[in-house]
Amino acid sequence: MIRQLFTVALFVCMFVTNTEGQSKLTVDKVYAAYLQNSGVIIEQGQIKGYFYLYQSDKIDRRTNEYTLQIVDENLNKVQDIKFEDTKKLSLLEAAYNGSSLAFLFKNEEEKMLQMKVYDLDGKLKFTYSRPYSKKTDGLMAQYETMHTDEGMNQSVFNLGDKGYISVLPLRDGRDQTYEVDMYSSEKKKQWTYIPEGDDQKFAMAEYLGATDSLVILEVIRKNRRMSGSGTAHLVGINPMTKKKVFDIDDEKDKWTFVPSSVLPVAGTGKFIAMGNYFDKDANIAKDASKGLAIYEIDNSGNILNKTYNSWAVDIAKHLPMNTKGKIDNIGYLYIHKMIATANGKFFIVGEGYKKQASAGGIALTALGAMAGGVQNQGVTKVVVTDLVVMEFDGAYKIKDAKIYDKTNNTVVGGPMSDYISQHTLAMYIKMVGSFDYQFTTGNPEENNFVICYSDFVKSSDYKGETFNSIRYNGTKFSQDKIELKSKASRMKVLPAKSGSVLVIEYFKKDKKLEFRLEKLG
Amino acid sequence: MKVLNALTALCLLPFVGYAQSQIFTPAAQNEASLKSLVSKYELQYNAELNNLPSKYKADYKEIYKSRWENIRSVFDKKEVYTSTAAQHYLDAVVSEIVKSNPVLKDYQLNCYFSRSGVPNASYIGEGIILFNMGLFQRLDNESEVAFILCHEISHYILKHTENSITRYVTTMNSEAVQDELRRIKKADYGKREAIDKLTKGITFNSRRHSRDHEAQADSMGVALLLNTRFNADGATKTLAILDDIDKDSVDMEACIRKELNTSGYPFQNRWITKNTGLLGGQAKLKKDQPLEDSLKTHPDCKARIALLAPMIANAAAKQDYLVNKAVFDSLRQAFKYEIVEYAFASDNYTYSLHYSLTLLQQYPQDPYLVTQVGRIMNGCFAAQKTHTLGKFIELPAPYQPANYNVLLQFVQNLYLEDFAGIGYNYLKAHATQLNSYPGFQNEFKC
Repeated sequence: MIRQLFTVALFVCMFVTNTEGQSKLTVDKVYAAYLQNSGVIIEQGQIKGYFYLYQSDKIDRRTNEYTLQIVDENLNKVQDIKFEDTKKLSLLEAAYNGSSLAFLFKNEEEKMLQMKVYDLDGKLKFTYSRPYSKKTDGLMAQYETMHTDEGMNQSVFNLGDKGYISVLPLRDGRDQTYEVDMYSSEKKKQWTYIPEGDDQKFAMAEYLGATDSLVILEVIRKNRRMSGSGTAHLVGINPMTKKKVFDIDDEKDKWTFVPSSVLPVAGTGKFIAMGNYFDKDANIAKDASKGLAIYEIDNSGNILNKTYNSWAVDIAKHLPMNTKGKIDNIGYLYIHKMIATANGKFFIVGEGYKKQASAGGIALTALGAMAGGVQNQGVTKVVVTDLVVMEFDGAYKIKDAKIYDKTNNTVVGGPMSDYISQHTLAMYIKMVGSFDYQFTTGNPEENNFVICYSDFVKSSDYKGETFNSIRYNGTKFSQDKIELKSKASRMKVLPAKSGSVLVIEYFKKDKKLEFRLEKLG
Repeated sequence: MKVLNALTALCLLPFVGYAQSQIFTPAAQNEASLKSLVSKYELQYNAELNNLPSKYKADYKEIYKSRWENIRSVFDKKEVYTSTAAQHYLDAVVSEIVKSNPVLKDYQLNCYFSRSGVPNASYIGEGIILFNMGLFQRLDNESEVAFILCHEISHYILKHTENSITRYVTTMNSEAVQDELRRIKKADYGKREAIDKLTKGITFNSRRHSRDHEAQADSMGVALLLNTRFNADGATKTLAILDDIDKDSVDMEACIRKELNTSGYPFQNRWITKNTGLLGGQAKLKKDQPLEDSLKTHPDCKARIALLAPMIANAAAKQDYLVNKAVFDSLRQAFKYEIVEYAFASDNYTYSLHYSLTLLQQYPQDPYLVTQVGRIMNGCFAAQKTHTLGKFIELPAPYQPANYNVLLQFVQNLYLEDFAGIGYNYLKAHATQLNSYPGFQNEFKC
């Protein structure tokens, strides 16, 4: 949505204003620039600015002139970069590391993925190219289908002031693997990490985070000779030595740990990994998890501490739930975010989802059966329920939990919801962006963060969509709500710089689009 | 006469006695007067439309309409200061100029004070000259006021705006430009470069004319001033003031540290943490100096002084004040405060806070200013609660002055409870002295 709305805004802005009469030619009748695409510029998981790539001219049959406009976190235009390139060009992602800007372009004509690194004056420093083929189709599919929180990047991340990395999914026949590319921003230097070994024939990697000396990935591996869902690994790669530092798979452990997020602990040489844990013989894609595990790991991959919070015992003390991790009226929890604050507190944000009988589906199936049909209309549906914020103590044991009510939201109906496992459904809901959780912003290092989610309210005072926030100020939580029905014909709230949101209001009558940054509650 | 002047000045002062000091009270705006002025100028504007050239009339009408909308907004936003006494003073200075320059008697001169803090004066059309309070309060004497007025009157009588509009309309409709636009339209490639070249040429030409207009208005302004009984060096002294006018006079970081540090809510370093780097909002951007110079609308002040100096070199010494020094002084004083009030009333809380904190360095503990700081904090709190704070504050930007950016970043760094904490504790720290001041009570109770 941000792209569409920004498109309108820039399209309007790009016209050179003039006050000519209708009968004569005017500048805006002769020339317009077209926005190709736009997005956020990310540094260490925070939105630092925005980019707009627009086609500003046609140079010849195959070449366009592009203008890459860089806008800072306060919406000031700070740089215009002009360059010529193929007319089949799109910009996939952008990142910033304080001293340079990196843009990952897709050049369809030459079938190349190009990482261009610019200095802060807009001068091109380096171009790194690699061909793309059917092998990298997964990446393109990811851009078309994946939904990420906070408008964050999927593939390109900054590595401090050293440069950037991209994590690419690769497919070769029936094999699926990945590669990690590192692009230096200091001198022209690039290297690629490709995992080796037979057990890497089916390996899916997700970037979880980076410390000063590590890139940390969650890798799900499956050997085709094996059945089952595969094994989860926490893989650490040193971006300077190009070597794998560790590969934690918990094979010798009592439980199977599936990490889903990591948090570097600044200045300590260690990081925290959090995820679900399962019985050793469980299918991690289908079976219910036992609870939440939190590991403390040093930069060499040594596990310093393991803490398990079981649904049945530990978490059940604070939330009404069964042994399979299902909370009364809420269902299962999908974990969205892990937040560590400077005052030593640790929070996990989850959102409920559950299968529910679908009255409409049952009726349709019954009617079909009465008519002699065999088609299943789907007797269940999947609904997204409430938001849950859990607080953990210094030893990572659950200390408190609070349920934040919101209106249940049906996200999957039809036969699919009858047959697919809970966890697969959660992955699907996440991928298509149907959870109500939006993003978390703020400064945890200042003991301040805000969890944002959308809701739909039906009350006597207001009926419509709302943007909601739960703010922690170092001592307590408070809630806030923005009603999205306003005097504007359309209103949208999008993630912005730390602690703020971008409010966009479109006034149809006046054909006016207003942007403003609003600090959250 | 001196006694009379002093009495007039006292009546003018928008300050009321409070304990041993004077407390500023904003002058009430006369809405009826503003409405009646709008009606008067609208009639004038409609008559003007009927007299526009028939060739390209639609183009002219569109531009004049846009100019009229700007004029109307100045009255609708209550930017025009309606204080009768201030208006009498300004009229008296204008009258002094006209009296010595019979050529001006045929012109309808409508000069008003604008409540804007921006140090500027402008001719906005329909014979209206706006003299911003932000400029007036920086001047040293009446002869400088007279030069500013002479300069703007010159723009008016030399029809600079109207000539610019005519030049723009005829240029854009000229065969050369239309042919070029047709050629660009038909071209398959290189449109942007061609349009850039065309518009740059037109813009450079227009800016060059604009600089010529300024030089003409300076020369004619001095000529008009020389005919008056005012000191002619008011011209060069004014330009010297303008040359320095954008320089920061206050260290805003030190000011925030000192002023807003209270025992109940001590100053925190995170309030003034600056976001650095290209994307932090305060980047120092590289400038294309030759291009910027070409696009300047005003010649450099030092160059303007050099041009005018020979004209006034042999001028006889005259007077710095002809109308009323006491009133001039009282207006200067009042305007320092009126711009604080107007910035707040026109929903620019950050400007208002900047002016308030700056002025507090000159007038520590001033009841109005102390109360205003609390009022702004209360306003920010209320606006953030309703998710509208973004409508009342400016954001850090590379083009803002460094000190103002410090203040803008400070506002960005505050959390909701900081607005409440700073505002409440700041007012509380002054409660003993100001408790009986009604304005103070209103904000303290919030």
